[in-house]
Amino acid sequence: MERSWWWKAALYGFVTVLAVLYLIPTVVPDAKQPSFIKAHFQKKIQKGLDLQGGLHLVYEVNVDKAVASKVDRLSSDIEDRLRKDKGVNDLTVNREGRDDIILVFKNPAEAAKLDDSILREYRKSLDLVDRNTTTGAVKLRLDQDQVEQVRDYALRQGIETLRNRVDKFGVAEPTIIKKGTDIIVELPGLKTEDFEHIKSVIGRTAQLEFKIVDDGSEYMRKVAASVPKDSGIDVVPESWTEKDSGKQHEDVYLRAKSRATLQKYFAGLTGELAVPGDHEIGYEEMQARSETGEATPDKYWRTSYLHRRAALTGEYLSNADQTWDQQTGRPEIAYELDHQGAAISERLTGDNIGRKMAIILDDTVKSAPVIEGRIGSRGRITLGGFGDPFQLQNEAKDLVGVLRSGALPAPLRKTFETQVGPTLGRDAVDQAKFSMYIGAAAVILFMLIYYRLAGVIANIAMILNLLFMVAILAAFEASLTLPGIAGLVLTIGMAVDANIIIYERIREELRMGKSVRTAVDAGFSRAFWTVFDAHVTNFVAGVVLYSYGSGPIRGFAVTLLVGIVTNLFTSYWLSHWMFDALVGRRGSARATLSI
Amino acid sequence: MAQNQQQRFFEIIRPGTNYEFIGKQKYWIGLSIFLVTLTIAMLPINAFVLKKSRGHMLNWGVDFRGGSEILIEFSKPVESGDVRKTLAEAGFPDADVVKYTDPTGQHKYNYMVRVGAVSVVSEAQAKQIQQSLAREGDASLKRFEWSEGGDKIYLRYDKPVDPAALANSLKAMGVNTNQVQSFGRPDENTYEVTLVGLDTEIRRALDTRLGPGSVSAIPSVESVGAKAGKQLQYDGARSLLYAILLIMVYIAFRFDFRYGPGTVVALLHDAIIVIGAFAVTYKEFSLTTVAAVLTIIGYSMNDTVVVFDRIRENAARLRDRRFDRVVNQSINETLSRTILTSATVFFVTLAMNIFGVGVIRDFAFAMNVGVIVGTYSSIFIASPILIWLNDKYVASQRKQQAAGRQPRRPKQGDLEPEEV
Repeated sequence: MERSWWWKAALYGFVTVLAVLYLIPTVVPDAKQPSFIKAHFQKKIQKGLDLQGGLHLVYEVNVDKAVASKVDRLSSDIEDRLRKDKGVNDLTVNREGRDDIILVFKNPAEAAKLDDSILREYRKSLDLVDRNTTTGAVKLRLDQDQVEQVRDYALRQGIETLRNRVDKFGVAEPTIIKKGTDIIVELPGLKTEDFEHIKSVIGRTAQLEFKIVDDGSEYMRKVAASVPKDSGIDVVPESWTEKDSGKQHEDVYLRAKSRATLQKYFAGLTGELAVPGDHEIGYEEMQARSETGEATPDKYWRTSYLHRRAALTGEYLSNADQTWDQQTGRPEIAYELDHQGAAISERLTGDNIGRKMAIILDDTVKSAPVIEGRIGSRGRITLGGFGDPFQLQNEAKDLVGVLRSGALPAPLRKTFETQVGPTLGRDAVDQAKFSMYIGAAAVILFMLIYYRLAGVIANIAMILNLLFMVAILAAFEASLTLPGIAGLVLTIGMAVDANIIIYERIREELRMGKSVRTAVDAGFSRAFWTVFDAHVTNFVAGVVLYSYGSGPIRGFAVTLLVGIVTNLFTSYWLSHWMFDALVGRRGSARATLSI
Repeated sequence: MAQNQQQRFFEIIRPGTNYEFIGKQKYWIGLSIFLVTLTIAMLPINAFVLKKSRGHMLNWGVDFRGGSEILIEFSKPVESGDVRKTLAEAGFPDADVVKYTDPTGQHKYNYMVRVGAVSVVSEAQAKQIQQSLAREGDASLKRFEWSEGGDKIYLRYDKPVDPAALANSLKAMGVNTNQVQSFGRPDENTYEVTLVGLDTEIRRALDTRLGPGSVSAIPSVESVGAKAGKQLQYDGARSLLYAILLIMVYIAFRFDFRYGPGTVVALLHDAIIVIGAFAVTYKEFSLTTVAAVLTIIGYSMNDTVVVFDRIRENAARLRDRRFDRVVNQSINETLSRTILTSATVFFVTLAMNIFGVGVIRDFAFAMNVGVIVGTYSSIFIASPILIWLNDKYVASQRKQQAAGRQPRRPKQGDLEPEEV
């Protein structure tokens, strides 16, 4: 053999071994895998949603609804200002279309009262379109940048909300991605019984609410006294002192490893112990802290006894940012409320100084800061706890995210849904595998009969092609869908095409009387561009498929594309190399070829 | 060079075979025109003439049509008529109920149910709801928002309302809800009603009517909003266009302009006939079918390119021969490859068609048709167009020559013999 042949042998051998290693985690059950495989090659082919069952949902963020709500709010805000600060009494304010606010002053002269002192406050969000002092009609329009911002915000918020909710269900490998203005959610491996529940929960609009905490109430003490010892629930007394007044608080809450334990306990309470109608229990996930105040990796859930009515909701918020406390240098959160929100907040905080106010997103308490004074349009939230400032800052940033997202509820509208039960996929895989074996067997047999020894080479190339394909899919952790399997089967059928083109060419050369060696070389070199063009055309179709398709179709396109690339390699170069071994060196080449 | 002893091969097409393809092209083109016309005629026939049994140009899958497709597994034998009746009573008069044969044979009583709706509330029902909820306690309804196919309703009252009471009122008129919650600011008194899922509602209706536990499982549900369906149709058509454009660009780059139109017409021909096969058999035309058509476009191109490559090579070698003879010879030379490759792909997809399930089966059917027409079109569509364009080209060259102008220099790589 020529030296280059051995180099190629080493290269192809290495690639094949590598492919086999990548394939092992997918094919061999976990328990039987050698330890070095476990350490270095954990990647495997995922089963697509249609094969393992699950939910595929596409939501569209209802931006129009969010924008209209924003315009509604701005209009009632302005109406409020005009009535209270400017003394305008006879006035109608309406939203027209999605973006416009029409104000009609009964007394046209009063239209001038909507002056710069008000408009300046809204200059970022509203544009003055028209002011008619004879009819008293004023038209304002939501700034188009704001519409874009709302869209952007709503989408991000939608994704965030969906992610939080999905996390709650503990789905193994959820996918939540943005596509244009749609959000695609894929939840593989669910039980059929859970479908409806999950769908109903994740489609809801997220709500941010502020509720007053009553942990020091008589009711909580009664409940605390009744908690059985072995229920997995701890009763935790919490005493703290108000910063300014020095007033003592003796609160009590319950905590447990899981939210469900607490929820079940409260649901089971009856009679005197049942949660009163005007109150409810909120749940918050906490980081456990050691005695020195350092955060530990453990987490637990705690309760908060809350007023049922939300005094303030997220829609009143106009901004939130993470800042630093001037005195202590610790991270804190500064937020701003809009005009109406400020009025509510002033009343609420004034009445409840010294109590805690829980910030609740999506039925989960995110934080419960103490109200330390009367708060108007601007407030600050300082974070409790000690520990390193970096971690506190992260906590603060998370809370800012929560506050901002609450400011704008954008409903999600479901546009596409596929749900597949777990058994359907299993049956389909078995059937598809069977058809793959039949197809492969037919091709192998056919090539053997038709091309004899050269057929063996084509078959080895085809099998190696399959091996490389699957190994690459495993290395990318691609998910295999039903159409993806169709792609694999199809590749088996098409894989031998290149070999057929080359072999027919070699036969032609042999018929012209060329020696075996020359015929093989000529056959390969002349067929190259034909083989290459044939692959490129398929590849182009595959690329279009990939960019067009969604979900399962994409799986098909991926297998097709990978298959085309590996096939060019196996059916041309690898086959050529095998032929070199078969035919032998120039001069000592064999005289006949089994082709 | 060692003198060769003539080797013998296993051949289906003997070397030197010279079937007449080009001379008989009239008949074949006639056949193609017939098939393409049949396809184009079949679409309106399906939509209008066979209105009762078919009703659409193609049997659009839910992904294009919009609506829901629900596979229901019953625990006992049921009549499709009963299922249809139950669904009509539950507010789905357009339900399409088809017996579904499970290929594994484990589950015997399966029905595939297709309804136009994606949500449990229809437009008429929404109006009814709006009327009945006009007053809730002492509050009156100020705004009612519901969009066709929506799974949510927004209700705005002038005074606060108890969400639980709203849910009860809805239940009283037969509308099941997953949840009713307040929405937006408390002073806006707006409530978001999340309706129960379509599959849950259908299951409940069937269990009530046919006895509890009659539905043993709902193995799959697919539902697509009307707007999303339109979008998918558009995307599908656009992707076919892109594929054809890209391939044209590649052909123009690799060959020359004379080769382009033939391949594109062949592609269109194949795509149309495959769609025609779906129109005639009225098999479901879904996203997967579009994927299959795209694959067929790739395959058909592959096939055409192999034949054209040989034509180009021979045209450079045999300049003194008539071009149509060169084409005929090239087709014959590549014939055995064409037949072998088509056969392997055909058998593999046939196996998928026979043993596969659901999506795979439809895909394989499309491929079976596609492989046959794709192979045929390279020979009988793409090649004659190439000859025709070449003749035109040569004629125009002669004309230019006669007019005393310099002929256009033949393109490089096109008519040059290849190196050996």
